[in-house]
Amino acid sequence: MTGLHFDTGRVLLLVCFGIVPLVGIALGLLAPSLRRQMPLIVAFVAGIVPILSLYIPKRFLSAAGEGMSPRLDQYLIIVAGFALPLGIVNVIQINARKVGRTEKGWVFSLVLLIGLLVMGAFGIYGAVSGAGIGFLPDGSSTPFQWMTDWLFRPLQATIFSLLAFFMASAAFRAFRARNVEATILLVAAVLVMAGRVPLFDLLAYPFPPLQPAAASLSQMMGRVTEWIMDGPNSAAQAGIIIGAALGAAAMAIRVILGIERSYLGLGKGD
Amino acid sequence: MSLFDRLLGIDRRWIFLFVVLAVTIPILAPLGLPVTTTGSTRAAFDYIESLAPGDIVWLSFDYGPSSAPENDPMAEGFLRHCFLKNVRVVVCALYPLGGLGLANASVARVAAEFPEKKYGTDYVNLGYKDGAEAVMRRLGENIEDAFPTDVNGQPISNMPIFQPKHQTIPSGDAGMGGNVAGIRTIGQFKLVFTVATGLIGEYWITLVNAQFGTPVIIGPTAVSAPKYYAFIGSGQLKGMLGGMKGAAEYEQLIARKYPQMAKFYRSTRLFTGTKGMDAQTGIHAVIILFIFLGNVAFLLGRRRQGRT
Repeated sequence: MTGLHFDTGRVLLLVCFGIVPLVGIALGLLAPSLRRQMPLIVAFVAGIVPILSLYIPKRFLSAAGEGMSPRLDQYLIIVAGFALPLGIVNVIQINARKVGRTEKGWVFSLVLLIGLLVMGAFGIYGAVSGAGIGFLPDGSSTPFQWMTDWLFRPLQATIFSLLAFFMASAAFRAFRARNVEATILLVAAVLVMAGRVPLFDLLAYPFPPLQPAAASLSQMMGRVTEWIMDGPNSAAQAGIIIGAALGAAAMAIRVILGIERSYLGLGKGD
Repeated sequence: MSLFDRLLGIDRRWIFLFVVLAVTIPILAPLGLPVTTTGSTRAAFDYIESLAPGDIVWLSFDYGPSSAPENDPMAEGFLRHCFLKNVRVVVCALYPLGGLGLANASVARVAAEFPEKKYGTDYVNLGYKDGAEAVMRRLGENIEDAFPTDVNGQPISNMPIFQPKHQTIPSGDAGMGGNVAGIRTIGQFKLVFTVATGLIGEYWITLVNAQFGTPVIIGPTAVSAPKYYAFIGSGQLKGMLGGMKGAAEYEQLIARKYPQMAKFYRSTRLFTGTKGMDAQTGIHAVIILFIFLGNVAFLLGRRRQGRT
């Protein structure tokens, strides 16, 4: 009986993810008006199986490594892997077109493409040669790791560091006590900013006699900040998270039941 | 034009100059400002401290170079803490934009500080895998399905680190795939520590903690930290190191508990969370100052408009 259950899950998945898409493609070619039906069936099965596996303890549904749900998890890793090449192809297409037509900013596109190809080539070389993409046995860096450490890291850190300048400028221009709500937000923000760092210790740094009092003040501000984060912030965040989760669940049900079909990418005529 | 009008119309390059000074001066001449510890960091430290020698934990690098100054000190502090306690560490990276490079560098750096720790026995780096949610689901069923090999392409099935606590491997016997009952799923881990910059940290809580019961501690960037207070309140997180402040607090707690680490953190030339706090304090002071000046000018301007 165990073998039968195991095979049931495998056969159902084969039908759903092997035969149904093929039938869908055939129908799409022969009868375009039917081509939306097959993806809906695939989406329904892919969505409903993991849910059922949580509530129905049947071997063909949820057995580790054998059931339909664990197998779907494996498929998910493969599908996620496909997303990367899809993104790479998209980036190459858009930027190669820009370079080919010498549109505005084509030099940046060229730099992007060179970076993509060089980094990708070193990664593939590491995989093919067996050297990997981290460190060599003697502790030296592989070309991929060298580029990560000396090009990618500094460039990303530089871009992100610019935020400090824009945040300071934006805070000065936008953080105004225009009404009651804005004032509450402003006061909370200043309290949290002051409480997350030893601000009073910094202010008292040139004046040693004031430092003990400054340390006490910093600690008090720290406690105020913790109260804001643990109390009002935590309550608001919990509400947002629960609301978002309910929204995601509702959207998932709409997709599983075929009510939400925008992911099919069909035009109006379809 | 009054002084306040001129202040309101200040060229933003002056603000940029203040920001540069506030960041660079404390980096060039560290002030060594004191760092007080908060409840969420103490809870994280206490939980890690409660682990026994030989326990196995999971460290996930779920951040990129953009937030490395905040996140690197957390990940490296955690690695040092585990090595000091003889806790085994399995490392992976689930963040696509540079998570693997950071994991490689941090693991190599900390492993060099603990030459007695053996790769494959005390720690292992499983490398990067795409599709964070899918990987976590697989980890709950079989680690080897998600990561058949480590970052160097070596099969993980024979690695001693995946053996149960205090169990030696009979020679020639297979590990996870063989007869020895080894560590097979993430549910058998004592802790997941995710150093995260985006949504991946949340997945560890909502997937791995909720479905497989593994305790989770998170080290998010400061901008993400407010969200996770709700998870601490609900008991889904054991603790949190929030931003650079959390990293600095954690370093202080480690240094207090382990004298050799106090010496290390005093003498190292590496960038640490504690060093970063001086610059962060400077920039917070500048922002608060400009908010104050901007509001004074705004309120005085409004009062003047009311009179006229």
